[in-house]
Amino acid sequence: MDDTLVQDKKTPAATDDEVVIRIEHLKKSFGDNEVLKDINLELHKGENIVVLGRSGQGKSVTIQCIAGLLEPDEGLLEVLGKEVKALSPDELRELRMKIGFLFQSGALYDSMTVRENLAFPLTRVLKMKDEAEIEKRVKEVLESVGLEDAIDKLPSDLSGGMRKRVGLARTLILRPEIMLYDEPTTGLDPITSREISELIIKLQEKYETSSIIITHDMNCARIVADRIVVMNDGEYIATGTYDELANSPDDLINNFFK
Amino acid sequence: MASALTSSINRYMETVGDQVLFTGRFARNIFRGGFEWGEFIRQCFIVGYLSVGLVGITGFIIGLVMTLQTQPTLKDFGAESYVPGMVSISIIREIGPVIIALICAGKIASSIGAELGSMKVTEQIDAMEVSAANPVQYLVVTRILACTIMVPLLTIMADGLAMLGGWVGVNIQDHVSATLFFKKSFKALEFSDVVPSVIKTFFFGYAIGFVGCYKGYHSARGTESVGKAANSAVVSASLWIILIDAIAVQITNLIYY
Repeated sequence: MDDTLVQDKKTPAATDDEVVIRIEHLKKSFGDNEVLKDINLELHKGENIVVLGRSGQGKSVTIQCIAGLLEPDEGLLEVLGKEVKALSPDELRELRMKIGFLFQSGALYDSMTVRENLAFPLTRVLKMKDEAEIEKRVKEVLESVGLEDAIDKLPSDLSGGMRKRVGLARTLILRPEIMLYDEPTTGLDPITSREISELIIKLQEKYETSSIIITHDMNCARIVADRIVVMNDGEYIATGTYDELANSPDDLINNFFK
Repeated sequence: MASALTSSINRYMETVGDQVLFTGRFARNIFRGGFEWGEFIRQCFIVGYLSVGLVGITGFIIGLVMTLQTQPTLKDFGAESYVPGMVSISIIREIGPVIIALICAGKIASSIGAELGSMKVTEQIDAMEVSAANPVQYLVVTRILACTIMVPLLTIMADGLAMLGGWVGVNIQDHVSATLFFKKSFKALEFSDVVPSVIKTFFFGYAIGFVGCYKGYHSARGTESVGKAANSAVVSASLWIILIDAIAVQITNLIYY
């Protein structure tokens, strides 16, 4: 273990010192299976953190706790200054409006067209009624992911990459402050993976989001990460830039970069 | 042995607790602002209109078969004139509501269980939840209310068609005018036959919608669980229908007899 790397390093790419997510000693178990043993992390405003780790290590569980989909057993979890565990359902709903979550599969509503998928959060969450304004927002966000022509298509008519893009558009339409990406490039060919990774960066600049990205894709990590944390056995064991970790003497960390 | 029994009881009690909480979420969301009228009407169309064929044919054949089965026996006793009354009372009081509810459990509860189960597996429900939309209001309230309203309407339609089937059955061997058959059918019916049977169909509809939604919404991850959700939705809804029917009969007897 490289102790010098197990520190919370602030990289130049992070634009602000404001902490948007603070996690201290977070624990989560499912029955006897202790998935998160002691998670500590700070995400600063404008920063992109990539979480690396082998499958089944609890990477997705961490971001599901952040989004309030799972309740942690112990520890502090503050998002935008509010402790998630202490929030009432209405307060949690309000907080979720500021968090975007891109699921691995895109999680598009398969009975709705792309237009209806994108309009859904606008009409249900923002309670927008003006059809023209909804259409404008839908087209604007579709344009930013390069899929204006897919507006009337059903999710079943879209390729894997297009689904991810529409999923991304649907989360961005509410203009979140924080983005959580669960393996955004899994199952995609290298060219599409690269396009999605570059899109993440482009949209982060456009919408000024702070992001946690879970991925196994080292190209994606290299493109999007301001900082990378490596997870093993329910804990974050190292943190640093791509180059710092790639040159780590610790084989456990180094193996991800080979 | 004892620990297995204890853990079974614990699991059962957890399920009961979950169902109570789910009922609470459903009830709270009915009266919350922003009722999903569009989705509710779409669900009424799916649950009601798309079941008309199956339920109608079933109802008609029940009436036809009942007449064909009972007519020879009643003829032996010279009591053929009781056929319309017997058919109408047995169909409206018991056979119509229960059989149609069981048919709906097979068709509707399984489809809701599978639909919500697959939405759960593909993370669509989670996606609604994290986008701060309200999946219970959109998915659960609309489906349960659609079932609660459409199952009674389907049953009333099926009861009518069953009586028509009865008239057709009588006319296969004899000739009885429609006016006479339906006059005798309705004459045999009393207020206490119709009202309790209609009321219980609302509970059947609620049970079908609730069980379908609960099983789908709480299905585990993985494609296998979609099939399990659909299957257990049908089994549980059918059991609930029989149970509700038994309770409804007792309450009706206490009130009217």
